[in-house]
Amino acid sequence: MVSENKRFVIVGAGGVGTWLAEGVARLLEWKYPGSALIIVDGDNYEEKNKERQHFTKMGNKASVKALELTQQFSKTIFIPVPKWIVGDNFNGVTDDDSPKMKASDLLIENDIVLAVVDNFAARKILFDAASNLDNIDVFTGGNDDALFGSIYHYQRRNGVAITEHPVAFHPEYENPPDKNPGELSCQERAEIDGGTQLLATNMAVAAMILGRINHTIVDKQNPEVSEIYFDLGLGKAEPYDRRTSLSEVSV
Amino acid sequence: MSNINESATSSAKASNGIANIRFGVYNQPSQIVGKSVKETREQFGRLWGIPNDAVAYKGKDKLDENYVIQPNDNVEFHRRAGEKG
Repeated sequence: MVSENKRFVIVGAGGVGTWLAEGVARLLEWKYPGSALIIVDGDNYEEKNKERQHFTKMGNKASVKALELTQQFSKTIFIPVPKWIVGDNFNGVTDDDSPKMKASDLLIENDIVLAVVDNFAARKILFDAASNLDNIDVFTGGNDDALFGSIYHYQRRNGVAITEHPVAFHPEYENPPDKNPGELSCQERAEIDGGTQLLATNMAVAAMILGRINHTIVDKQNPEVSEIYFDLGLGKAEPYDRRTSLSEVSV
Repeated sequence: MSNINESATSSAKASNGIANIRFGVYNQPSQIVGKSVKETREQFGRLWGIPNDAVAYKGKDKLDENYVIQPNDNVEFHRRAGEKG
């Protein structure tokens, strides 16, 4: 058993996040007893989410999932944060119906962050906040409407980026084509289409992130495989090395 | 991040050798040395579904459309990350 306490922060308890939370809870319970899993989501679980998301009752996703896990596991602390994450420059309205929290107020040194929200805008806010910390790991992942998905691992140690901020390879992080739901009104959020995602792809994203956590955090291996693209239809997965120390990699 | 622009006139356009081309789950050593980024995208675009506006990278450097691929280059066409979850 590894005996150091960890603080995991999972942002987004949806199609990927619910499955990932179940896996991380088991990892912490057996590998790092006494650790904490903070679950952040301002959204509510509704009947329409049932096809892909794992909850036992309706209500705020962070609160319901934290309660479910608390009832199952005794050596891990589960903390719900039923709020939307926003950037430091957010100047919209925060009220009881739509509580918000700045990413820079959420994240602290040595956190292991799982950014599994459903949009690039909120992910960018989390990566940007993490880039101001000296020691942190941020794992993110997502999928399209079919069987394609990808994950990314951003790591910083002693104030130095070990892997690149994803903006270095992904223009969609530089200028997100979507909007952070936390910065929308309730009406605008209700109009967002969740698409036609597949359970298998959601679970594959969660499994791949859990695999990278095992490799880089539990086994303390280097994050050479910093990004993975996969396609369950083609039966292919491809690793990419996004470490900052790399110069051009020859064939 | 910088842009690399090396035109066909200043390089060994017909040189032999292999370079690597990548796009999402695809990764293939190929005889594309001497071809431009634009020509390479046209060659692999339909096969792999590379969008016409996909930026090409060599490491962290963005490549110009006219950049001529050199032996042992590792050219990656940007694949948008998975968004939903």
